[in-house]
Amino acid sequence: MTLHAPPEVQRPAVMLPSSPAAAPARRPAGNLGIARFFAVPGQIVSLTVLVMPLLVALYMSFTDWSPTRGSLFDAAFVGFENYAELLVYDTRFLEAVIRTVLISATCLMLEFTLGLGLAVLFLREFRGKAILFSAFLTPMMILPVVVGYTFWMLFQSNGPINQIIALIAGPGAMPEWFRSAPLAVATVIITEVWHWTPLFFLILLSGLNAVPENPVRAAVILGASPRQVFWQVVLPMLKPVIIVAFVIRAMEIIKLFDEVFMLTRGGPGSATETISLYIYKLAFNDFQLAYGAAAAFLVLIGTLVIINLMLLPVRDQLLEARR
Amino acid sequence: MLSRPLTLPLALLLAAALVITLFPVFWIVMTAIKPPTDWNAAPAVWLPSEPTLVNFKTLFDPTALKAYGLSGVSQPATPSMLGSILASIVATGLSILIGLFAAIGLSRYATMTKATPLMILSGRMFPPAAIAVPFVIIFSVTNVIDTYSGLIAIYVAVTLPFSTWMLKSFIDDLPREIEEAAMLDGRSRLMAHLTVTIPLVKGGLFATTMFIFILNWSEFMFALVLSYTNVTTIPVQLAKYVTATAGTLYGVQAALAVLAMLPLVIGGFMIQSHLARGMTFGAVKR
Repeated sequence: MTLHAPPEVQRPAVMLPSSPAAAPARRPAGNLGIARFFAVPGQIVSLTVLVMPLLVALYMSFTDWSPTRGSLFDAAFVGFENYAELLVYDTRFLEAVIRTVLISATCLMLEFTLGLGLAVLFLREFRGKAILFSAFLTPMMILPVVVGYTFWMLFQSNGPINQIIALIAGPGAMPEWFRSAPLAVATVIITEVWHWTPLFFLILLSGLNAVPENPVRAAVILGASPRQVFWQVVLPMLKPVIIVAFVIRAMEIIKLFDEVFMLTRGGPGSATETISLYIYKLAFNDFQLAYGAAAAFLVLIGTLVIINLMLLPVRDQLLEARR
Repeated sequence: MLSRPLTLPLALLLAAALVITLFPVFWIVMTAIKPPTDWNAAPAVWLPSEPTLVNFKTLFDPTALKAYGLSGVSQPATPSMLGSILASIVATGLSILIGLFAAIGLSRYATMTKATPLMILSGRMFPPAAIAVPFVIIFSVTNVIDTYSGLIAIYVAVTLPFSTWMLKSFIDDLPREIEEAAMLDGRSRLMAHLTVTIPLVKGGLFATTMFIFILNWSEFMFALVLSYTNVTTIPVQLAKYVTATAGTLYGVQAALAVLAMLPLVIGGFMIQSHLARGMTFGAVKR
């Protein structure tokens, strides 16, 4: 029996954290000058965008300032009053937080399920795959504002979606999508899922295509059914890709604003008001800038903590220079 | 892996998914070429009774709708188009330039701390609504509110994580021996990077540029709160049509929406193979 050389393993789409030995030898110190030269512009910009607004928001959140009251520096210092108000009395804020989390979680699960299903379909053999692949990516290339506007048209009471519902269930069944709280939430979720399922599809398909063949072949030879192969061999290998997809999408969906602004403006009442929309309304409709800054600061800290926790399992993967 | 043919039920499933994916696109394009009588007809009109370009004309000439007995819109959409073009192109150029430098630094030199890339990434986690509030204050104090420079500065800052990470992933793919050979030839480090590294990542540079352009072109929230009269972009104009006319100008808005998404769909397909890389900060390579 001859020994085979280990077959070339396909490079997985997502690189696992490389061991220190495998990491490329970076240029050692002694090139500080040029390293700084390359790094400084980026660092200046990110410091400006991270630290400066953070400090301004922090300072402002301890005052009762509003633009009608003159200079920010003359505003009265109110201590933690804004924060106490937000965390204890402002049910609208707390509701917005919970609502955003729930909408996000629902959307992510739906996008993941549909995206994975579609990606699995694309593992089959059929003609016209390349062009269908492009077609399925179309939604994610459209501006969020345009997506919001398009679905606002589709969900009009005399729009095409209601027309189809009337065809199936009779004219009496046509809902007023934007007048009922649960239905308005549904329009937001449907819009968001339509818009971003393609990203899950794209990431998961590239992950599936990079799954090495040998473990799959081995499982098949050992008598595993296709179902077992998928759930017990392929899916575990896909885990890093799935985590990356979730983290990336979570970072984006937590900011949900554009589509909701175009669809419902947070209505009816505050039924679809997300955190971003609430802060926007506080600051730019009610001009409660100091209070809005306190809310913004809480959201900043909360988002940073949550996303960094989510990043923990893939942190090294995102950080390492991959070769 | 598991290459099996598509069975009929699965093919039907795929077809249904395709219809759902493309239907909204079909609807917005059809609405853009509908005459005013079809815009909001009940029951909804699927195909325009009489295809027309009047909606597109109205974007440039607010009185074009007079032919249909409508007063038309109060202002043309041309300033917002120019605004979008200016802000997106300048911001994309700057973001790519700074991002390219940062990417070379991150990819090739060990002197940067481990936290630097994560810090850059953090910039992306901030909800725009949350940074918009302090930025409005800072911009009012420094008098750059309602100017393109202010808007562009923000766009550069918020797209920098993407340009840096995406470019870094392309540079990481290059063997460093190539640059080292150039340095042995007597070129300085800087020249080696400028004459060897950058030309070798041309393809990646193009994909990243396109990707950052898409992000800037789509941006809505900052443009909404940091602009009053001088500055406007297409997304803001689109939202304004909805408020100003209570949604009565469906066709005109749809025409603007179609014009807005056209460059993105074309550009998006051009860099299709790099989209996953861009969206995941280089963690997914294909």
